[in-house]
Amino acid sequence: MKSQYRLGIDAGGTFTDFVLADRSGQVRLFKALSTPQDPTLAIKNGLAIIAEELGVPADQIIPNCDLCINGTTVGLNALIQHKGAKTGLICTAGHEDSLEIRLGHKEDGYRYDPEYPPATMLVPRYLRRGVSERVLSAGEVRVPLNEADIRAACEIFRAEGINTVAISFVWSVLHPDHERRAGEIVREMMPGVILTLGSELYPQVREYTRTSTAVVNAYLAPIMKRYVEAVDGYFRSLGAKQPVRYYQSNGGLAVGQVMTDRSVYAINSGPASAPVAGQYVCAPFGRKDVITVDMGGTSFDITLTKDGSTNINKNIDFLRYRIGVPMIQVETLGAGGGSVGWIDEMGLMQMGPQSAGSSPGPACYGQGGTEPTVSDANLVLGYLNPEGLVGGRLPLDAEKAAAAVKTRLADPLNMSLERAAYGMFTIVNANMVNGIRRVTVERGYDPRDFVLVGAGGATAAHITALADAIGIDTIVLPKLASGLCAFGQIISDVKYNYMATSPLRLDATGAPAKIDALFGQIEAQGLEHLRSDGFDQTTSRVKRSLDMRYVGQVHECTVEIDTFVVDDTSIARIKDAFHRRHEQLYTYAEPHSVVEVVNIESTVYGLVDKPARMTIAAGKGADSAVKSHRDAVFRADGSRVQTPIYDGAKLGAGDRITGPAVIEEITTTIVIEPGWTASLDQSGSYLITKGPDHQRNGAK
Amino acid sequence: MTDPTGKQVEVDPITLSVVRGILETTQREMTLSLEKTARSSVFNLAHDYSTAVFNHRPEMILQGQDIPIHLGSLIPAMKVVAKYFDGEINEGDLFIHNDPAWGGSHAIDTCFYRPVFWQGRLKYWTVCKGHLTDVGGPVPAGYNPNAKEIYAECLRIPPVKIWDRGQPRKDVLNMILTNMRARRDQEGDFNALIGACQVGERALIRMLEKYGEAQVDACIDMLLNMAEKQMRSLISDVPDGSYEGMAILEDAGHGYGDFEIHAKVTITGDNCHIAISSPPQIPYFINSYEGNSHSGVYLGLMMFAQLPPPYNEGLYRCVSVDFGPKGTICNAQEPAPHMNCTTTPMETLTDAVRLAFEKAVPSKVSASWGHANGLNIAGWDKRHDEEYVTMVLATIISGAGATPSQDGWHACGPECCFGALTSGDVELLEYSYPIIIHRYSLMEDSGGAGKFRGGSGTAWEVEPLNNDMTFITFGEGRRIPAVGAAGAGSTIIDTKVGRLELVKDGVETTIRENIIEVIRPGDRITNKNPGGGGYGDPMLRAVESVVTDVKNGLVSIRGAKEDYGVIISDPDTLSVDRGATEALRATRRAQAAK
Repeated sequence: MKSQYRLGIDAGGTFTDFVLADRSGQVRLFKALSTPQDPTLAIKNGLAIIAEELGVPADQIIPNCDLCINGTTVGLNALIQHKGAKTGLICTAGHEDSLEIRLGHKEDGYRYDPEYPPATMLVPRYLRRGVSERVLSAGEVRVPLNEADIRAACEIFRAEGINTVAISFVWSVLHPDHERRAGEIVREMMPGVILTLGSELYPQVREYTRTSTAVVNAYLAPIMKRYVEAVDGYFRSLGAKQPVRYYQSNGGLAVGQVMTDRSVYAINSGPASAPVAGQYVCAPFGRKDVITVDMGGTSFDITLTKDGSTNINKNIDFLRYRIGVPMIQVETLGAGGGSVGWIDEMGLMQMGPQSAGSSPGPACYGQGGTEPTVSDANLVLGYLNPEGLVGGRLPLDAEKAAAAVKTRLADPLNMSLERAAYGMFTIVNANMVNGIRRVTVERGYDPRDFVLVGAGGATAAHITALADAIGIDTIVLPKLASGLCAFGQIISDVKYNYMATSPLRLDATGAPAKIDALFGQIEAQGLEHLRSDGFDQTTSRVKRSLDMRYVGQVHECTVEIDTFVVDDTSIARIKDAFHRRHEQLYTYAEPHSVVEVVNIESTVYGLVDKPARMTIAAGKGADSAVKSHRDAVFRADGSRVQTPIYDGAKLGAGDRITGPAVIEEITTTIVIEPGWTASLDQSGSYLITKGPDHQRNGAK
Repeated sequence: MTDPTGKQVEVDPITLSVVRGILETTQREMTLSLEKTARSSVFNLAHDYSTAVFNHRPEMILQGQDIPIHLGSLIPAMKVVAKYFDGEINEGDLFIHNDPAWGGSHAIDTCFYRPVFWQGRLKYWTVCKGHLTDVGGPVPAGYNPNAKEIYAECLRIPPVKIWDRGQPRKDVLNMILTNMRARRDQEGDFNALIGACQVGERALIRMLEKYGEAQVDACIDMLLNMAEKQMRSLISDVPDGSYEGMAILEDAGHGYGDFEIHAKVTITGDNCHIAISSPPQIPYFINSYEGNSHSGVYLGLMMFAQLPPPYNEGLYRCVSVDFGPKGTICNAQEPAPHMNCTTTPMETLTDAVRLAFEKAVPSKVSASWGHANGLNIAGWDKRHDEEYVTMVLATIISGAGATPSQDGWHACGPECCFGALTSGDVELLEYSYPIIIHRYSLMEDSGGAGKFRGGSGTAWEVEPLNNDMTFITFGEGRRIPAVGAAGAGSTIIDTKVGRLELVKDGVETTIRENIIEVIRPGDRITNKNPGGGGYGDPMLRAVESVVTDVKNGLVSIRGAKEDYGVIISDPDTLSVDRGATEALRATRRAQAAK
């Protein structure tokens, strides 16, 4: 890191987190309220807070930053609220409705619900214009492009005041000329138009996915463009040396122009940096298999890295829209500090997914909330400080919390207050565990092989209980947990995905040469792009993957391979990698069946140097950090145990704490259940491990 | 609750919630494993499979949402299989079965049953059933409109033990697979089904290890009781009495004419009895054996109950069903041919039950969904020099029925699948099969008219790429549109129903029967699927909604007038003649009142 600072700004639903790292390894965390109406306002407010704390004005901090990085929810919010731009779609005649047919499927879980609405169309039917043209499955042209049809579509779009257009044709991935020519005509007819070509944005097989991805991109592009211009301009005015980098849902950084051209990459960038951060905080302990969990106010995000690489999702429904481009796989559940406890029609206690949000918030916030939430349970159980959170800046009302739990759950279920609160804690944990199973067991991983990393403000109170329930014996909980995603962004690299397609069977003549040529072609493009961003050979990296399946299967699995010349001999390495992955996922492989490749992808990385690591001074023993005691509950019967409360700010490296204990950091509260031991590492994280004398008395 | 020794077991309410979550996750894991590994696009893309868990009795303790065609149909089948092997069920066994005369639904749905043992005792069954692409017999893909008997349809598999104490009986498996087309795909799908059973087994054993047998047993019994209580409370809200529904099963080419299927729902307190009556079975593939008729009746019940998953057998304890005398369309017996039964007559049976419930509880009604009217294709793929055969799911995706609060979903049916299907991507289909899909679209004026409009059906137009292609049509819904609810009805009928449009050697024909036909490159077929039924008086539909539909090409200007009484005076601006519209709507309402 050449300059004094690096700044990360991550917008969340409630707070925007600011992480400022300096050359010495110190990392400071600041929070400002998010301002969804005008997202740049939160950035200005946050910089004002930083300036005040440091006693240095923003226009002297920003020029001293080597990089300023922004994770934004602008695209996400526009998609959630359907407030993107009015968009036109040009597609192959006869296939105008693939976007609305949505493969004919209604989401599972709502089968008999008479009120579950269809997905809102981002482009209504009358703005989806079919044109005469057709390419077939081997890439040959069956019907040439009818240019008059394109012009007619443009006339309609102009009359409708449209300024962003997606073009997506059947099999354009094998023959992009029709889309390119159509694009030329649209540019000529509609000067200033923002144009998205399916074959450029997402050159992979599956027309519906490609069209939907292109439409989401076109729908968000004008919004992202406006945002990026505002933020770029603001940082330029503060004297920034480098263009602002934006965080993408693929887990990498991008410059503003890319955010405009590839807006669809912006939609779930928030939690996408968790895997990078998880890797980073586990590195001092030599562990590379990491599950990072992030519990905030309303949701619980789970990400996974194995051997240092992160699971990627492609071709998924996100907010009910099919998105093809790679996104860091994030399993999100409605389980957060604000998740509400209720009794269902069958008389069973349930937690979430509905949340009290930040307004009225949990009952203990005293802002009028009367529903019992996870935070209320944690307060009743003695985990949270009744005097308040964030060093008392967020006061809590223990009576209101107890009243909510008692009247809504304990009394109707005829159980004590403590039993009900511990039940809430247990059930929300069980929901989170089932979510963790989805990203582990269902993907062929044994969760017990992983380290659990806690991120987000609310996670730390649950972390030992979660680890217990999954069978994980090692936890890493950074002091910075509540701003860990923002921190992940400032240690990320620039990352661009380049894709191509060529459905073919690996035993076909010429298949290896064709695959090799495609990799070569897209990697040349990717590296050229990195060069224009200022990266050279020494700071550029390439990773390859292939989507493959057995002939006859419908779904592919993605297999990562090393970079080597693909030829008739080395093709065996690709096949072997596929058989291994299939067995890992589904318990069996079919080594004698023919394998086919559907899509190929190369990811190019521009390596960014990392800030120095934080170092914590050695401690003088944990005892001196005990600040009080509380009676806390760790058993299903609701019994209370006197539990020491530690002040995290007074702990030093090497200090050890045995559960039961609570450690209060300024932005998070860590619960160490009986049987667990925490020690603060000099890297700024607590290493929490299960003790040998562990005798937990959980669910009986 | 008591444990096996008669000792009282206290159910911990928190553990109860956790056990329920584990059962759901178990079913999810089974489903996912199946979906990702399967070859058959029918159960892979169509989700035409079910995974379920039974206890040792065997009662179904969990079925995921999956597909309504299978709702409850595993219940009788499981009982038949367990009874047949009573006393011979050992750890490590695995059973296979498909036959409708032995409790199955239709024989192309092949089912695997895995007994799960714990400490030497039978505790659970994990069960997976999926629609294969072929199950032998004279016609590819199993649907043979010319079959007069079940023996002319496919390979029948009564309950058969194919693993004996962990040892696969290779000879038996080989005998079964030898009878099937595209063996590679069938074999792959057997692997997928068996794998999913084992995935479930693993999860159940882990649950027993963690929470203990006594507590888990008590929780599962409690979950069954709670489901029973839930259904009883829904039923007791319905006024006591008998309610009758009738739906017409149209003649789909057999020549025996249209049939009436009757359902009589009798509510007594918190009990519900459903009595079905249908005409004698016919030598045509639309007879439904009891296992399949269960699903048809339960879907009608679900359209009223509207419960979210998960489901267990406790739900049905207060529901008794009389399928009518043996040897009738809805209670068929050997040798009745049956392959089409999961759509036809099942959807008409469902309609009869839902119409009875509409009379009982008008506020909870949904209009009928478009019925399945689709095709199977088969031929020789010159590109790879191999045989192909498949049901084309895209061809049966019809419009959903409207509800009291909203328009029906477009392209979401058919009724027997209720949104569980997926059509498959156009490029993947063209890559997998030698075909060109010229069109897959919604259709103007296809949704049933109503205050809330039925969803649009779909049109699927195909041409064989480089070789002859055999196609086989099945289903119905080609003359009678989806039945509306709460007074909905359309004036223009022809666009609301399905059909097949064939262009062969340049000659156009419209086909409304089930046929087997061969076409060649240059010929085309367009399969049109019906729209869903509307809800409420179409003259009450908001004029703006009608105009929006016209703007989007979902209703024609003529349709606006005929179906909705809305007069659009300028086809370019779509401006409405308000006065003329009011007058026409008033006249139409007056006519309807007569």
